[in-house]
Amino acid sequence: MIRFEHVALGYADRPVVQDVDLEVPDGKTMVILGDSGSGKSTLLKGVLGILKPQAGQIEVNGSNVGDLEENELLAYRQRIGMVFQEGALFDSLTVGENIGFWLWEHTDWNDEKIEERIRTLLRFVGLESVIDKRPDELSGGMKRRVAIARSMAPQDPLVMLYDEPTTGLDPFTSRSICDLIRQVQSEFQVMSLVVTHDLHDAFRVGDLFSFIHDSRVILTGNREKIERSDDPFIRTFLST
Amino acid sequence: MMTLFLEKALRFFEPVGSFVLMVSRGFRFMFSRFRIGDTLIQMDRIGVGSIPIVFLASIFAGLDMALQFEVVMAPYGAKALLGKVVTTSIIRDMGPVLASLVMSARVTAGIASELGMMNSTQQIDALRVMGVDPLDRLVAPRLAAGLVMMPILSIVGDFLALLAGLGISVAVGHVPAPLFWSGVRDALTAQNLTNAFLKPLFFGFILTSIGCHYGMRTSGGAYEVGRSTTKAVVAAAVWILISNFLISKLLINIWGLSA
Repeated sequence: MIRFEHVALGYADRPVVQDVDLEVPDGKTMVILGDSGSGKSTLLKGVLGILKPQAGQIEVNGSNVGDLEENELLAYRQRIGMVFQEGALFDSLTVGENIGFWLWEHTDWNDEKIEERIRTLLRFVGLESVIDKRPDELSGGMKRRVAIARSMAPQDPLVMLYDEPTTGLDPFTSRSICDLIRQVQSEFQVMSLVVTHDLHDAFRVGDLFSFIHDSRVILTGNREKIERSDDPFIRTFLST
Repeated sequence: MMTLFLEKALRFFEPVGSFVLMVSRGFRFMFSRFRIGDTLIQMDRIGVGSIPIVFLASIFAGLDMALQFEVVMAPYGAKALLGKVVTTSIIRDMGPVLASLVMSARVTAGIASELGMMNSTQQIDALRVMGVDPLDRLVAPRLAAGLVMMPILSIVGDFLALLAGLGISVAVGHVPAPLFWSGVRDALTAQNLTNAFLKPLFFGFILTSIGCHYGMRTSGGAYEVGRSTTKAVVAAAVWILISNFLISKLLINIWGLSA
């Protein structure tokens, strides 16, 4: 379970989000919705331990992320898959090298074993044929798929974090990425946090939804609760 | 008022602190966990890739210097000193400074724009998430490559400049080749050789560290990447010229004014 308790996160003395209380049960996907700059991605940085809470605590499966030392964070992050906006693939490496990067850096696996793992992951995302291509030869949707495969390289993930996974994609490709996110969730029974401002994609992938506005969580619940809300911000969001 | 002043002072010195921190951690990684593969790749990009432009610049600098000195020295009947004067000028100053300035346009700009682009596309964040310190993976190999390749390029460039100087001296100044070479040998003093090695070593550090510093601090899109690349090249050129003077002064203080 991922649990945020009265969390404030930000930079220096400037909190980006405040007093956040959230709970993602095991095997569920929560979608964080909100306008640009509202601090949605900041929550992901908190889960990764890149940002320490200025107040409150973030717990993932019983571990308080803010208390983890740098070497403990390394082990912790092995079970967290992070998919960055637009993929953030290393453009000097091939697709295969991108996916195997973590394994070459942190394990003593031989090249055959690493290649086997790379091919397994590429098969899972349906892209085995692009193993030797460079990221700039891939379409936007393919980059996201490779990024998802890369995020699962260390071992089967416990938590998946997606930062705007469908931004800039056409509707057909967006749908296929949403399907893949669902597939990851059902196959590995992971908890997922998805940050997006696209309501259609949110409803496709999410079990729970949380709206952030003016640095605070204004509503959390299932689709029905969201659709019944009278909050003016949420009504505007739903109508656009 | 005081707080505002302190804030301004902190903002002014923050880049200096961040540069010192980056360099010190970069060196620590270089010596604690040397990445031979990444360093060789950077040596190829920084050094081997710069060979044509550095050698071309060195050859034309040698040709021009020999030509100019020949014109100035001939009326005084001092053409016999041409080899010594050309060699001293090239290995003490002209060679290292010219090679470094040419390299700054290529290497510093390349590093700043590559790392800047990586930063703005979250590739550096991705490295951190994957448990890899960007200073270890990106900065340390570039610093090491600059420190190794710049002296090599500069010294080979000096040699080519001398050959070009010899060609002009013999063809235009009618100076016998053995006389020119004896001047070259006279100029190869410990002081001049120290200049020839120490300056490019230091300039190699400046080229790569400034490129890394500006690249790692880039945020935003293509406009910001362009801006930090320009800033990096200008800063590298300025620091090369300043440090050239300071190293010259230091070595003259140590060795005296002998040529």
